[in-house]
Amino acid sequence: MNRFVAFASLAVALLAPPALAQSTNPASPAPGNPGGMPPGTKQSAPGVPAPRQTNQPDLAFIHAATASGIAEVEFGKLAAQKASGRAVKEFAQRMIRDHGAANDRLSALAKAGGIAPADRPNEEHKAMRVRLEQSDGAQFDHAYIQGQIIEHQKAAQLLQYEIGSGENAELKNFASDVLPTVLSHLRMAQAIAMEMAQQRQAEVPPGDREKRK
Amino acid sequence: MSKRLRVALLLAGAGLLAVAALADPLPPDATYRPLPTLPFDAVKALDEAQKPQVMQRQQALLEQRYDLSNRPIANVIMSGGRKPVQGGVRVKLPAGVTWDSLSAMSPDEIRERGLLPAGFIPLPHVKQATGGQVFPNQQIDEVGRQELRNIRRFDVDFDLPDRFTPEFPPPIFLTTHPELGDVSHGQLLTIKNYYQLMVGLLTPVQMEGLRLLLTPFPQEEFNQTEDRKSSDQSLGVTCLDCHANFHTNAAFHLTPDVRPQAARFRLDTVSLRGMFNQQIHGSKRSLRSVEDFTQFEQRTAYFNGDHVSAQRKGVNLPDRFDQVPMMAQMQNIIDFPPAPKLNPLGRLDPSKATQQELAGEQVFLGKGQCGQCHTPQTSFLDNNMHDLKLERFYNIGQTVNGLVALPDGSIKTLTLRGIKDSPPYLHDGRLLTLADTVEFFNLVLGLKLTQEEKDSLVAYMLTL
Repeated sequence: MNRFVAFASLAVALLAPPALAQSTNPASPAPGNPGGMPPGTKQSAPGVPAPRQTNQPDLAFIHAATASGIAEVEFGKLAAQKASGRAVKEFAQRMIRDHGAANDRLSALAKAGGIAPADRPNEEHKAMRVRLEQSDGAQFDHAYIQGQIIEHQKAAQLLQYEIGSGENAELKNFASDVLPTVLSHLRMAQAIAMEMAQQRQAEVPPGDREKRK
Repeated sequence: MSKRLRVALLLAGAGLLAVAALADPLPPDATYRPLPTLPFDAVKALDEAQKPQVMQRQQALLEQRYDLSNRPIANVIMSGGRKPVQGGVRVKLPAGVTWDSLSAMSPDEIRERGLLPAGFIPLPHVKQATGGQVFPNQQIDEVGRQELRNIRRFDVDFDLPDRFTPEFPPPIFLTTHPELGDVSHGQLLTIKNYYQLMVGLLTPVQMEGLRLLLTPFPQEEFNQTEDRKSSDQSLGVTCLDCHANFHTNAAFHLTPDVRPQAARFRLDTVSLRGMFNQQIHGSKRSLRSVEDFTQFEQRTAYFNGDHVSAQRKGVNLPDRFDQVPMMAQMQNIIDFPPAPKLNPLGRLDPSKATQQELAGEQVFLGKGQCGQCHTPQTSFLDNNMHDLKLERFYNIGQTVNGLVALPDGSIKTLTLRGIKDSPPYLHDGRLLTLADTVEFFNLVLGLKLTQEEKDSLVAYMLTL
């Protein structure tokens, strides 16, 4: 079932509407500020870089977003095995599914644009992975969810950065499509973190609670 | 492992995470204004080529959201007697619902079924990626006529129809001369005419403050550099280019207080009338004096809260001990328009008000809960910021014309004195009429007002 959902969302995602940049539909990607294009950029429409013509914000976005996407799926797989809480396990499954589909779509866009996507997580993700591998039980769940909160906060800012500063219409469209889901993941992770904190508090004997402050 | 040790380890882990999170930041232009990479001529040609599409997109958005037709309220006119007040609810409803059926639903149901009227969510800038100040044509034309100063942009035009903006030029009322009424002589105050209009009315200190408020200084889109949006090297803008005659001409901007660019909400220029009673300034910044605000607007309204960009294009640093207080003293004598039906405590005089207006005041102070923040006795202000939590009603993160719709968070309470003179409404101008504001708050506060109560509220607000 999950595989079917992932395939279906990938199929929908790859069917990008044609001539996005020309649209007068307010829901389509808005034109960027043309002042930020590198000199000599070939354009398919005024201010819209032609395919395989990108600029610094689009490059920075693809690199950071693909590295993060790969890490999300890796962490998700690890958490699906190691997490002890049911909510955390379910969250991890969802990360594997949603970020997997988004990664495929973004990689396809990157390749179509002649940009090499990141092929591995960044140093920060690697450090996170080491921490996750070294922890178990409730400690693992806590580390994973806290990491997910930060990762999704950063992803939300990164997607907003591309929506405002990017020039490539397909990439901007991708960012707009994905942002509501990332924000909903963030709310889910925050809710799970709060539940776990309440649970920990409930486990501490009443006499010890004051000391913990 | 003991529980306490486990907790200690968890906290240590959280500490590591916090440090590590600093290792992978966004590019600097997510906060700072990037330097342009193309020469001015190339940017201008591209901007001009994009402009028709840019304007069509915003027009399509406005038409999707609002009924823009000309439907003035009979026998109601703005305080200068120059412009009728538009009436009726202009925000369009989604198919299959009425205002009553919508207000009977829970916020969760409205959000899950996607039924919040689009006109209630934040209104984008006409070109969000670029942002910046956009003036209505009347202001552009009059400044051009009087000063030969160009505040027209080549990349965008003003978007809202003229009928949903304040009268132009707005009347000016002084707390120091209530007996005179409007002292504008029907003119727009500029650096060219202020002296002859105001000599004998103002003190020397007020006059000098006014001169500074009318002096153009470099601004993000209007300056001498290649990073500008006026065709010619511009002399800049003045405080009163937006706050026309100390009121507003509905010029708009993006908030200087938020990054990145796609998350910056639109700002509709606020009126400076009644400044003397306002204790916090800036929709988000909550600056505690108009002196602080006046001083810092040279980096915020003028340069998007980017002091680095301001430094490059020509920053103006008004002297805090001399110039800023004079500018503040001038702003602090701008009065609200007369409200002959209000008594000294801001309540309706029953001998002058109609039954409907009196009924509206009852709703305002009672079932409508408006008076909880818009306190009549303190100029319909509470000098606080409040969060209406509109995100209960829609899924955040959707992008419309380049603006990402996000929770507004806390926004300062705006006065309702003279409110019929100040369309459009809310901090970003997303509501076009007072009837729209009634439907908005009816939903957001869960008031379940009857049509009769709604109509009486509008009638009441027209008396303020």
